[in-house]
Formats: sequence, structure tokens, C-alpha cells
Amino acid sequence: MTTAPVPEQTLADFANMSAALTGFQANVLRPFLDPVNLSGLYYDFAVSQVGQPAMDALLGAYRAIATQPVQIIADTLLETASPKPSNQAQICQSIVLVWYLGSWYKPAYQNNGLLGAVVQVVSSQAYTNGLVWKAAQAHPMGFSAFTFGYWSQPPASLATFGVNVSSGGGQ
Amino acid sequence: MSDPTYDVVIIGAGVSGNLIAKQLGLAGKKVLILEAGPAVPDSREQYMENFYLALAKTPESPYPSIAGRLGPGVGTLPNPADLPTPRATVLAIGQSPAESHLIQSQTAGAPINAQGDVRQLQFSSTYERVGGGTAWHWLGTSLRLVPHDLTMYSTYGVFQDWPISYDEMETLWGLAETEIGVAASVAQQEPLQAAIGLTYPPGYQYPMGPIPTSIVDQTISSAVSGMSVPGDGNENKNSEGGEEYSVFVTPTPAGRNSQPYQNRRVCAGNTNCIPICPIQAKWDPTVTLGDALDTGNVTVIYQAVAVNIAVENKSVTRIDYLQWSADANGNLTSTPQSVTGTLYVLAAHAIENAKLLLLSNDQQGIANCSDQVGRNLMDHVLYLAWALADQPVWGYRGPLATSGIESLRDGEFRSKRAAFRMEIGNEGWNFSAGDPYTTTLDLILGTNNSQLNPQGQRFGGVALAEKLNFFLTRQFRFGLLLEQAPQAENRVTLDPTYKDGLGIPRPHIDYGLDTYTMEGYRVAADTCSAVFQQMGAKEFTQPTVNPYPPGRNPGPGDFSYQGKEYHLYGAGHIMGTHRMGADSSDSVVDASQRSHDVPNLWIVGSGSFPTVATANPTLTLMALAFKSAQSILAALGS
Repeated sequence: MTTAPVPEQTLADFANMSAALTGFQANVLRPFLDPVNLSGLYYDFAVSQVGQPAMDALLGAYRAIATQPVQIIADTLLETASPKPSNQAQICQSIVLVWYLGSWYKPAYQNNGLLGAVVQVVSSQAYTNGLVWKAAQAHPMGFSAFTFGYWSQPPASLATFGVNVSSGGGQ
Repeated sequence: MSDPTYDVVIIGAGVSGNLIAKQLGLAGKKVLILEAGPAVPDSREQYMENFYLALAKTPESPYPSIAGRLGPGVGTLPNPADLPTPRATVLAIGQSPAESHLIQSQTAGAPINAQGDVRQLQFSSTYERVGGGTAWHWLGTSLRLVPHDLTMYSTYGVFQDWPISYDEMETLWGLAETEIGVAASVAQQEPLQAAIGLTYPPGYQYPMGPIPTSIVDQTISSAVSGMSVPGDGNENKNSEGGEEYSVFVTPTPAGRNSQPYQNRRVCAGNTNCIPICPIQAKWDPTVTLGDALDTGNVTVIYQAVAVNIAVENKSVTRIDYLQWSADANGNLTSTPQSVTGTLYVLAAHAIENAKLLLLSNDQQGIANCSDQVGRNLMDHVLYLAWALADQPVWGYRGPLATSGIESLRDGEFRSKRAAFRMEIGNEGWNFSAGDPYTTTLDLILGTNNSQLNPQGQRFGGVALAEKLNFFLTRQFRFGLLLEQAPQAENRVTLDPTYKDGLGIPRPHIDYGLDTYTMEGYRVAADTCSAVFQQMGAKEFTQPTVNPYPPGRNPGPGDFSYQGKEYHLYGAGHIMGTHRMGADSSDSVVDASQRSHDVPNLWIVGSGSFPTVATANPTLTLMALAFKSAQSILAALGS
């Protein structure tokens, strides 16, 4: 099967939406120089799992609120105030999880309501670029760019790790 | 065909086998190593890729012929009946013989026998069968034993004494520390002399300076300053015999580089000593194997599974082995081979050593006049306790462990209950609760498997990142290594039913804990809680936690003692199955690890430990391998 390349604007919207959903700066998720191209990888992987129509609908919902503050975008798309997230919000959860953990988890609606069923580690670079390690002000276990003895000193600030920290937030 | 004749044939290319091969090779002896598993790879890149892609990053996850990868979602493990070298894996603990190499007599609910022992508990430690052996994923902890560890019978009236003096061990530990390149400071260990009798020869220096301590270590160390705990646990604080023992933190001697050593880099704190150091800053047995091969006198045959140690007139005459290969679909072919030497060394680790001894001589067994082969199977049964600090301690950084509380490893209480050391973890709740995965899933999906999301809230955006940051930077844990009592009924036998892919009977395990050991658990739990309280940390220890992927059953590893529930974790320290002793009627090998019954056979490794004390075993089993190498050279007339 041959598929047309994903339009640049679509990838940019996916990355910006992902930034809002994860709380990280967009240039962390999709740097100007981006040989790893996780945003492209995750877009394709998500489409393969949930289908193009669901992805198109999600991006449409994002575009409608794209100028809102990022926390509002996240809470709206993830429906954090709702007792039962919609299928589309569940897809957002899977997108947040893959950015944080490098693994794709099935949305519950695809798995008889079972939460947290893992499909696979998307790639080794997906693992080593997981955002959760940055949220811990650390590094992926088994992939450190730090040097001898760093662990005896406090880490750099959470903002330095790319989190869009709220006012007064972070360590 | 004409086999070459070697001076020494060694079974197993792990810590002991490689060290002995190196020592013999340096002395000009011709050595053959038969290794059951695949070859040491030219680079560890493929092992790293295996690790990165593994859903469950268990100790076995990087290593080949694996059991370890679950398929999509909740899959099944390969059937050991189809594998040439199946081994015990964490993912197979508690699983059926269709997945678990070890066949275990285990029952959920862990019955108590007339002596008060819990029986039919799952044995929960694992090992590798691969070139380099299980110590690919040792932690690097290089603690020496303390003097009373060698004299449990004479000092405390329990168990056995070791047939070797502390003075001699001090010399052997020094050799092992140089081989490994242990980073430590004698001055930093000095407080342990008064507390537990740890001494060094005058003027001794470790090969390199110590590894810096983590902020987790520093926080605990400050908080427990001046603290003491009763030897019998908090519940008996005012009772008779409740002596107080001081609690303090010491940096842990470590087999990882604080300076370049043996052409290997300094530690970069990858927080991944287990399952695999990405940069080989941690010593592993492949380092010593390389040295052995460089002597020009050592040959290794991989994918060679020993199936019989042939003995005639109390002398080994040859080793029979199967040379196996597998095609791309995993279909096995194997060819029977034999090899002869003057002397022989069995170095296949505690469970496989016992299995091969029992398997030999048409399953009549060899070297077993004492009936101790396979018995006294022990582990440092592990008590895990975890908490959130009242301030960030920034785990998930640095080597997995850099300090511990060693001051409780000895005392009068050892006449009655298990001693322990307290390892301080630098990996948050990774081991204890499967984090950072568990908490991340909880905060996104609204679940509460971590106990950190009791309201079942869901978070996104910056609120998610900051909430995660709050929890992950405050997480820490203790892993307590308990001194398990030797018990004859804890044993490895040949399973009568289940075989591996080469048709070899698999190990059958009978296992449990006695009250001496469980009493140690009780005090361990009290001590951890007391330290957490002293720190102002909030404890989250749970007796039963499922660190496995959703849908996997952790199996019957839970037990209760005096009304309290515990979960048995393995430390990966398999010991005792061919214990050493001066008396051939109740031990398998002598102080040189030479078989009492078959004098041209050495049976080496932690299986020789008559008691397990509380120090991680690698340093000591390597020290014993130096002694074995010396006695082998003497026997060869060198």
C-alpha cells in the first residue's frame, strides 16, 4: 500500500496538540532539527491503531480550540473533569502515554473497557526519548547523557527539562 | 575423532569459570570452557536494543534465547520444552511448566508445617545461561562478609561454620577486588568495625576511590544520625534482650569504575546496572573472559550443554556434552560430543551445578556421598519497603544503589533471627511498584495501582507533568537482604516429568522459609517503618504488589507470619546447593571447592556457601574461585 506523505501542517498540529496534552514545550517534542522524528512516528502509529477518521476528528477538535491556553486544551481534549472519557479522549490518553513512556497502550474502548493494555514499545528511540524521565528530572534508565557523579548534586530545574511549568511550579 | 586433551575442562563461562580459566591460562595451562549458552557478542548494542524494546525490563530482558519478551499485549513466554538452554526468568516466576524452566512445588496460600515453617513457596530468583553468565546483571555491590558470618555455629550456635578463616578470606577478597576494580574507601567503611567487626589488613587500599553517594543516600544518612533500633524489633522494644543497634549509612563498595580501569570507562550513572550497564563501566565476567582468552591458552566452545560428568574410580574421566544449533525458526539440532582433561571444574551456577551432578552417572548422581547435593538452596530473601520523602530526593539517577545501612548485619540477635543489610535504592519505585510506568498510567487513566492517586483523578498537560514530578522526585525504597537459614528440605532435584529442548530433565524446586528467616522479616519491616518515621517519609509498602504486565499472575509468593502479610522477592542470589565444609559427611566440597568424593573435580560458585550471611555474593564467590585456582594449580604440580 502506498500512502501519500502526511502534510506538514498536520504533523505540526499533531505536535502542538501533543505539547498541550503532555505539558511539554512543542520544540521538545518536535525540534527544528529532528532526525528522530518522533512526532511523525507517533502520528503514523496512532493512525495505524485508531484509524484515519478518528485522528482527523481529533485534530479537528484540537484546531477548534488551538488558541486557548495549553492547560485548557489538555483538560478539554482529555475530558479530565468527566467521569467517563469519550473514545476520542481515550485516544488522547494513549497519545500522552506514548509520549511519556514510548509504548502504545490500547484505548479502553478498543479493549472491552480494560485500562492500560500495552501493545508494544514503539521503537528504541521512543523508549529513550520518553518524557516521563524528563518529568522526573532524570534520564531513561539505560540511557544517560550525564557524566560521572552527577547524581550527588540536585538536577537542573524542571523547566530546563522542557516542561511548560506553571507559575511557581516545579522544583 | 580425537579430542584434544586439556589440563582443565571448565563447565560454564561465568564469574567463577572465567576467573579460574584466566588464572590457569596465565600459568600456561591449557583450558577449555564449555558454555551452554550463546557466545558473548562483539558489542552489547544488540543486547541494549533487546532491552529498550522489552515491555517488561526484567533482569533477563537484554539476553538472548529468551524467554523474556511478551508478545503484543499479554502474551505467553516460550515453552522451555522447546529451548536448548532455558533458564529461570522473572517473568516466569509463578507460571506453569509451559513457561517456567524451574518446576516448583508451590501452592497459593503457602501452607505452614508442624515446625511453623512456610512451605511450598515459590523460589523467586533467576539466572542466565549465556556466555558471561548471570553476572551480566549483577548490581556491582562488593561488600565483604564480616567475621561472624564465617562462624555462625561457633558464635551463635546456629547452622554451620565456614571451613576457612577470616584472615585467608581477607587476602582472597583483596584479589577479587583488584580483578573487579572495586571503588571504595577503607576510611568510609571504618565505622563498621565497631558496629559489625569489619576489618581490613593494615594499609589496605581499594583499587580506586569511592563512587559518590546519591541525594537519596545523603537524605537518609542525615535523617538517621544518632538513631538506634532494638535487635528484636519495635514490638519488643522494652522486653528482655532488646539491645539497641545503631543505624547509619555507609557508601557501598562497588564494582563500577570511579576512574578508567581495564580499558573501561567511568560510571555515567545510567541507573541500569541491572539488567545491563550500557557502557561496561560496571565490571562483568566478559571482562575476565577476555583476559583469559588473551593468554592464548584458553578456548571456549559455546552452545555446548554438558549432560554427563563421567566418573570412574572416584575420578572424572570425561565430560559428555551436546553441541547444539538452532535455525531461524528455532528448530534445534544437537550432536553428542565428549572432551577429556586432567582436572575438571563445574561452574554452571548453583541450580545448574546441582542439576548436572544429579544427572550424571545415569541419574545416579556423582559427588554426593553426603546427600547434600541440591539441598540447602538459599537466597537473600528480599524485603522491599518504599516511601515518599518529605522533600525531593531525585531518584532515577546514578547507579541503582550507592549506599546502604550495613550496621545491622551482625549482633546477638543472630542466635534467634535472620540478620539483614538495607540497600538504599536510587531507582524510585521502579523495583517496588513498576514505576515510573505505574504512576504515569494512574495519573493519565485515573487508576490507583501506585496508591498515589486514591481519588482516581485524571491529569493532562502541565498539571500532569508537575504531579508526576512531585511524586517521582520523592520516591525511594529499601531492599533488605535477609540471611536465609539453610534447610535440607529446600532443594533442587531432577524433575521426573519435564524436560528441556535437548531432552534434559529440568530442575525441580522445593522451597520455603523457616521461623528464623521469617522472624528476620518481622524485624526488617519494623526497622524500615522506624527509619521512614524518623525521616518524616510516608510509607507505601504493600505486602502484595503486582509488578507484572496487566493480566499476569505473580504467583504464590506471598506468606503470612504472626498475622502480617509479606511478599517474597528474590535477590537473584542463588546459594547453598553444594555446600563446603571440613566434614565430608555433611558437605559436598572442601574449602578449595574441591569435591570430597571426586578429587579431580572442583564445584564452584555461590552453591558452595554453607551459610549466606548478608553480603551480595559475587565478591565472595570470586574470592573462593581464586582459592580454587590456587589449589588446581597445586594439583597440576605447578
